Amino acid sequence: MLKIKEVHAGYGRLKILRGINLNVSQGTIVALLGGNGTGKSIEFDKKVITDSKPHHIVRSGLVQVTQSKEAYPAMTVEENLMLGAFTRSDKAEIKYDLEGIYSFFPALKDRRNMLSGTLSGGEVQMLVTGRGLMAKPKMLMLDEPSAALAPKVVLEIFANIYKISQTGVTILVVEQNVRMALLLAQYAYIIRDGRIMIEGKSEELINDPAIKEFFLGGTVTDTSKELNA
Amino acid sequence: MDFDFNSLLAFIIFGITIGVVYGIVALGISLIYSGLDIVHFAHGEIYMFGAFMGLFLSQELGVPYPFAIIGAMIFAALLGMGIERVFYRRLTQAGGGYTVAGMGMIICGFGMSVALMNVAFLIWGAGAEPFPVNLGMPLQLGDISIPQSYVLTAVVSMLLMVVLNYFIRRTKLGLAVRAVAHNKDIAYLMGINVPLVISLIFGLGCALAAAAGVLIGPMQSVQVEMGYLMLMKAFAAAVVGGFGSLPGALIGGILVGIFENLGAAYISPSHKDIYAFLLLILVLIFRPSGLFGVIAKVKA
Repeated sequence: MLKIKEVHAGYGRLKILRGINLNVSQGTIVALLGGNGTGKSIEFDKKVITDSKPHHIVRSGLVQVTQSKEAYPAMTVEENLMLGAFTRSDKAEIKYDLEGIYSFFPALKDRRNMLSGTLSGGEVQMLVTGRGLMAKPKMLMLDEPSAALAPKVVLEIFANIYKISQTGVTILVVEQNVRMALLLAQYAYIIRDGRIMIEGKSEELINDPAIKEFFLGGTVTDTSKELNA
Repeated sequence: MDFDFNSLLAFIIFGITIGVVYGIVALGISLIYSGLDIVHFAHGEIYMFGAFMGLFLSQELGVPYPFAIIGAMIFAALLGMGIERVFYRRLTQAGGGYTVAGMGMIICGFGMSVALMNVAFLIWGAGAEPFPVNLGMPLQLGDISIPQSYVLTAVVSMLLMVVLNYFIRRTKLGLAVRAVAHNKDIAYLMGINVPLVISLIFGLGCALAAAAGVLIGPMQSVQVEMGYLMLMKAFAAAVVGGFGSLPGALIGGILVGIFENLGAAYISPSHKDIYAFLLLILVLIFRPSGLFGVIAKVKA
């Protein structure tokens, strides 16, 4: 569904990504671990969108949810959600989907008329995810959904992402929390020094000794033994 | 001077009518400020162009006065959007707002003000043009008689405010305008065509200024330099109300109007234009964020 070929990106002279190839097939959850960026050739739904304007990309069904705390704090929860549906004109269905979001995230329903600036971190993450879903995306790109959230909330957020993918939305998630992301995704790419270091099915990666050493803290079990001793 | 309650009331009523006009110009300035993070210094000239356009439509083409207001608003909106697209957009794209490009924007605004004034001078000359509109007998309110043009001004201005408020608060496009005003980066992610919405905001602000121009026309007269003073008063109104706050712009305008009329009546009529700034200074001393000032960076 989403194909990324030979993407280079950076800030000025500093190169961050040095040629990334990525493939997300329909209906899956794919994790991108280590970094993010835009670049050379990006193809979505069999169309090249590299030079597309942002609002055209959203209209084509590719929706990005940025890191936490990116709601409109001076607007109510409901107004934020309605903004997500900006590209749509099917009023009745928007209303139906809004109720759908509220039953998905009951916490948002209780706060529908409150300013989103008063929400907690976890609730804001629910709000921005719900807002992304209001666009009726074919594919949702989640940028560090776990950033700055308590471990218990992270678990809840990831469970929600899994439920969203069950409804048929393709998901690409960029994460620093490697362990959680590997548990969630079916396939993962791990980026290091601007290149794809390793890619593969999550269950294979999670048991890969090199990955364990690098990202999952291969010494965790040892430390816990030490602590117990 | 003997104190006369009726004349005090009359001064206040006239203050309010002229004040709502300051209010709608201030509303335009506030709208553009909250949308683009820039202060539009050529707004007075848009107001002047609107007034001339209204004059042209009603005197030369014989268009009825209410339609002349609408015609002038459409003309000014197109003029404003054209200016925004050709001149300001290059600067907003380079960052705009509080960046270095924002400074260029202010200078660009001043330059546009001078350029527009000279264009108007070439077209209409320096003389003051009368704008006679026959609206019928003055309205009697007890012992006070109010000219119809004042009544119309108050009614039309209020109507514009209500319509604008409805648009901003209750419609989908209004929601997009607020989204762009608050945070353009997220607005892009919502699939909003941000440059188009910015044009729309600019056009709306300019249309409001033109409406004010056509409304003020019959009370005073229409001349090339009328924009400067209006800009200053509208700024005072916007700052008194709290810059970037839309209801604040209206209340600020009314306060400036009343203050100015009372000052002219009871202190000295020859210094009429000073009182607006006196009020501005007082507000800046005691409540720098304005009466309805929202916390810095969180806007209407």
